[in-house]
Amino acid sequence: MIRDSKFFIENPYGRWVRDNLFSSSSSAFLTFFAGFMVIYSYRGIVGFILNPERMWTSVTYNMKLYMILAYPDEAMIRVWLSVGLALILGGLSIGFYNSGKTISLGGIFQKLFTISAVIAILIALAPTNTNVIQNDGSIEVVEIIPQDVRMLILGPSLVLTLAFFFLRNVKIKNLFNTAKVNLTYFGLIIASLYFIKIPTISLDSSGERIIPDPFLPIASTTYIPWTILYVGMLLFFFIGSLLKNRDIKIMARLIPISWFLCPLFIFSWIFKKPLVELNTVFSADIPSILVFGIIGFLIIRFSDNESVGVYRTPINIGFLILSVVVFLLPLVFIFKATMVLLLLLLVVSPAIATTKEGKRQLFIVWVVSLFVLTFLIRGASSDTMLVTPTGSIFGGFSLTWLLAIFGTYASFPLGLALALGRTSTLPVIRIICTGIIEIVRSVPYITWLFFASVMLTVFLPAGVEFNLIIRVLILTAFFSGAYFAEYIRGGLQSIPKGQYEAANAIGMNPFQRIFLVIVPQALRTIIPTLVGSVITSFKDSSLVAIIGLFDILRIGTSVIPAQSQPVVFIGRNLEQLVFLSFFFWVFTFVFSRRSMKFEKRLGLGER
Amino acid sequence: MSKKAIVSLLVLSMVAVACATDTAEEEVAVEEEHDHSDESTLEMVLERGFVKCGVSGSATAFSETGADGSITGFDADYCYAVAAALFGDYSKVEFKSLTSAERFTSLAAGDIDVLIRNTTWTQSRDTELGNDFGPTTYFDGQQLMGRNSDGISSSSTLADIDGLSVCTNAGTTTEKNITEGAGLVGATITLVTVEKFSEAMDKFIAGECDIVTTDGSALVGRRAVNDALNDWSIFPQSPISKEPLGPVYRSNDSMWGDVINWVVYATIIADEYGVTSANVDSVDTDAFPELGRLFGANDGELQTVMGLDAKAFYNVIKQVGNYDEIYSRNLNPVGLFREGGANDRWTNGGLIYAPPAR
Repeated sequence: MIRDSKFFIENPYGRWVRDNLFSSSSSAFLTFFAGFMVIYSYRGIVGFILNPERMWTSVTYNMKLYMILAYPDEAMIRVWLSVGLALILGGLSIGFYNSGKTISLGGIFQKLFTISAVIAILIALAPTNTNVIQNDGSIEVVEIIPQDVRMLILGPSLVLTLAFFFLRNVKIKNLFNTAKVNLTYFGLIIASLYFIKIPTISLDSSGERIIPDPFLPIASTTYIPWTILYVGMLLFFFIGSLLKNRDIKIMARLIPISWFLCPLFIFSWIFKKPLVELNTVFSADIPSILVFGIIGFLIIRFSDNESVGVYRTPINIGFLILSVVVFLLPLVFIFKATMVLLLLLLVVSPAIATTKEGKRQLFIVWVVSLFVLTFLIRGASSDTMLVTPTGSIFGGFSLTWLLAIFGTYASFPLGLALALGRTSTLPVIRIICTGIIEIVRSVPYITWLFFASVMLTVFLPAGVEFNLIIRVLILTAFFSGAYFAEYIRGGLQSIPKGQYEAANAIGMNPFQRIFLVIVPQALRTIIPTLVGSVITSFKDSSLVAIIGLFDILRIGTSVIPAQSQPVVFIGRNLEQLVFLSFFFWVFTFVFSRRSMKFEKRLGLGER
Repeated sequence: MSKKAIVSLLVLSMVAVACATDTAEEEVAVEEEHDHSDESTLEMVLERGFVKCGVSGSATAFSETGADGSITGFDADYCYAVAAALFGDYSKVEFKSLTSAERFTSLAAGDIDVLIRNTTWTQSRDTELGNDFGPTTYFDGQQLMGRNSDGISSSSTLADIDGLSVCTNAGTTTEKNITEGAGLVGATITLVTVEKFSEAMDKFIAGECDIVTTDGSALVGRRAVNDALNDWSIFPQSPISKEPLGPVYRSNDSMWGDVINWVVYATIIADEYGVTSANVDSVDTDAFPELGRLFGANDGELQTVMGLDAKAFYNVIKQVGNYDEIYSRNLNPVGLFREGGANDRWTNGGLIYAPPAR
């Protein structure tokens, strides 16, 4: 038997093949069958992509439309500043939280070996010819990969594969910091913007198309901003490392807070013209923040005070009545929202602010959230500052990204609150939270989208007008929040009762018990589910097309296949679908790979 | 701090909140005063400084979104024309791309001032839905497309499709028209329905159906692009349905309706006299008194009583062009021509006709 030959017993690779691919006759059959299917579909896909009937310039020429729809050129600086803010924060965090993990040169060569081997195999298996269906139904065979082109790619990749195969075993003492290696990879991606050129449509000064299509860098207008941002990111990476070495404690607080506030800032920066009229600020905003701040201070200071004693119940009832009255009056939204928050503060502060330090922290949180709330509501109800040719500011990938990021960002705290509320022992809170979760989860997302686009304005108070995108964002936050709540509840239930008892035994208050003991453990167990949910919401964002928003899928399937000027792209929807599938795949794949690394770092499944 | 002090502070701050909310209430009241519900759309648009125009954004040659996000096409040009008449500047337009499902609700809600989105004028849309229709700018009609190799020619009739399979989009009037039409002549057809016309076209190209049907303008456009072998024919000669496309505005808004109507008529009248954007400056207004009245000679009395500038229609022709220019600029590249069709001048036997300007 071949299976028992020397090669399959002694050679480690031969042994692997024997044990994993041909361990029995049925598995040998499966190996051949699956291998045949994979190769067959791969050749089919390559034949489809390189078919001369395809017009890939319809994708490359419309790249800007795909990314930002019609965001005005003169306002693009806002987008770059926002991306820059995120990158700088990223660089700072990578530098500051650098775990010092290293990778050896051999490890890097191992990766490069895999990559070049995969390229060599793919190019070797690619088909030479493809069938072009003529309009009369006859089939013509067309050569898509000439032999010399194949050799030109196959030769070098084989040489590299062999070189890396031997290099990966070389014992070199040099170790590289993984953070630095990752930053280098990112730099290589940005450098590729300069070098990788693809065919695109160019028009000469009189508007005539230049034929044949010239090869240009993929995004010729973006490589200078990307380079500047990358340099900024590197700079902040080194600042972060420096701060880490100096052991500056305050950064450990500042960085998470900055991350928390960053999307809010980006959101209002890109999208809104926050209403900063000094008149309104001094007549309405500052007084209301002051007043609510003082009330909050009094509540935090005296709510657990013995001497309040008999007055506590009347004050609570008075507040409840006042909040209900305020909520029913036709007032500006911010007052209603703050009254509800005050009521919440009144309920929770005796439990969580028992020490002097605790009270101080709670007061800071309260004042910061007053500012954020005022800013947000002012921003959300102000006009958009941009007039775009299509009347729809956000579109394409920026909209998809916004929905995914903001959906996750806003729904996570909401989901956590709902989950804790659902497991609460207070019946009112439990019933309200259960009600919200069940109602939101039992109605399909599309129905909620119609609700947001048509009905939400009816429910909002007078004077508050939200843009459709903001309405959809609020709705998405609630929708994924309800799902998150159930995942988190699953995590909470996996925590043994002993943990609660242990926390009680060392004298923790309910707040400390939940947020220092239970929630961190619960979140750890549900990371795979949460990532799955983020990926789902990323893909679900395409559904917003049915309420008239221009997401990336709608641009690809209806806008681009309708273009007749300057070049006819009528009916070019297959190219768009292939491009979009690849695009979504890249992003979801990166998501899930990152989460796998994250799980490994947290030691999930090793407990 | 004593109990009394705490309680009085609390009460004081509540009073302060109440005072603050009073000012807030005033803000709301002020906003409500600016509610324009009783105003004419014309006044509102002039006050705002730009016109909000509802288009499709993904209708070939009528309103398509370019690679830079700009909107061009036959319908889009009429939006520009309205802006040129109102403000003397064609660029004062804010487009809103609408799906066919949301176009009428968007108009009714006041999100847009005028809807120019290849919308067919029908009785129910005109009466039940609270819309008024302007003059038809493009006469379309449903036709069919088949292969010459299947024995189809441009002189074929509905009876010739007996036994063939027909692709169309589901749940539309297109589907209803073809089923009714085939039933009338006693032809048995296999209906293949898909969601979008582009999918129907893909199926037709792949040979999964023998006939594809939709509005004639779309069929001509696709034949120009995809029919490399000149094998496809569009039939019957007179369409199986009437699809007059034109601008739509809210009911009971005559001032605004007049502006839209006469912008369209002005482009048609200019076409009748052969006045284009190139020669509008050299028009002999004494020899052609109608053009004089239209372009603002004699103080442009006709325009000023409409609430427009005396030079309003001069600006339309100067900046956007006459009907023929708008038509050939957008529709000729996709293979749609005026000659001999319903969209020719009335003097040539077409249906494009405008009342006189006097």
